[in-house]
Amino acid sequence: MQSRPGDKNIAIATEELPDGITKVILDGSLGIEGAAAVDLRMNVIAGSSKAVLVDLQNVSFIGSMGLRALVAPARAIKNRGGKIVLFGPNESVEKVLKSSGIDTVIPVHHDLQTALAALQSI
Amino acid sequence: MMRENGTDQAQDILTLRGRLSEIAELAPWIESLALRHTIPPDVQFAIALCLEEVISNAICHGYGGEKEDRSVVVRFIAPRDQYIVFLVEDEAPPFNPLDAPELPPLNPHEEMRIGGQGLRLLRRFAGTLEYEQMPGGNRLRLGFSTAGSSETASATTDSTDHQVT
Repeated sequence: MQSRPGDKNIAIATEELPDGITKVILDGSLGIEGAAAVDLRMNVIAGSSKAVLVDLQNVSFIGSMGLRALVAPARAIKNRGGKIVLFGPNESVEKVLKSSGIDTVIPVHHDLQTALAALQSI
Repeated sequence: MMRENGTDQAQDILTLRGRLSEIAELAPWIESLALRHTIPPDVQFAIALCLEEVISNAICHGYGGEKEDRSVVVRFIAPRDQYIVFLVEDEAPPFNPLDAPELPPLNPHEEMRIGGQGLRLLRRFAGTLEYEQMPGGNRLRLGFSTAGSSETASATTDSTDHQVT
């Protein structure tokens, strides 16, 4: 699916990986509408998984509401003793992550094996 | 939502009613401008980010929630010297985002704060910002360079130089 910055279209899918890792695949734009569309599902995942990899490779846009959609579940996961990592943001999305400081509280990886290894140490 | 295209191409205007769902109109509008004016993808991203933050702030905070009878008008001023400008005009009480305090970035030594990033992102991604209080509302002027990264540009208020990098 192709998306434009700020476009409301977003898809969310999950994949259960070995070692109890849940991979969350986001595809589209995490603007206001995109964030609202994934909020509930992200919070459900946060309530049931202790090791979560959020695949951002196909996220074309993120704003402050999109950041909320990542931080709220991340906080819930961490408060339950779990771990969450972000994987593969594009350059612009990563700039937003860094501007907000999110990269200091949720590790950002560009190599899948490194991202998975970070979760396997729970 | 209403769109107007001036015949002299000096301005394109997007008028949004005071509802968050209207923000969905931004993406195709920006894409259309980008096609016509050859705006690079990273600048498109910055424009979308900043306009979304400013408009959602006007609706959520300035209007105190969605208000069908109020609008936010976005004016695009055609590029000159590889520089483009957007004016965002609302009907909210006076609010100068250049004077508003910015929350610190998240850090690993504190509980993760949810929210409070909009102002920070606006200041980081807009090339320049100028605020003007209008009769019955606010006008924010956002400038973006299409020649390169907008990250290192500066911003000014109507009264005081204000570095936002």
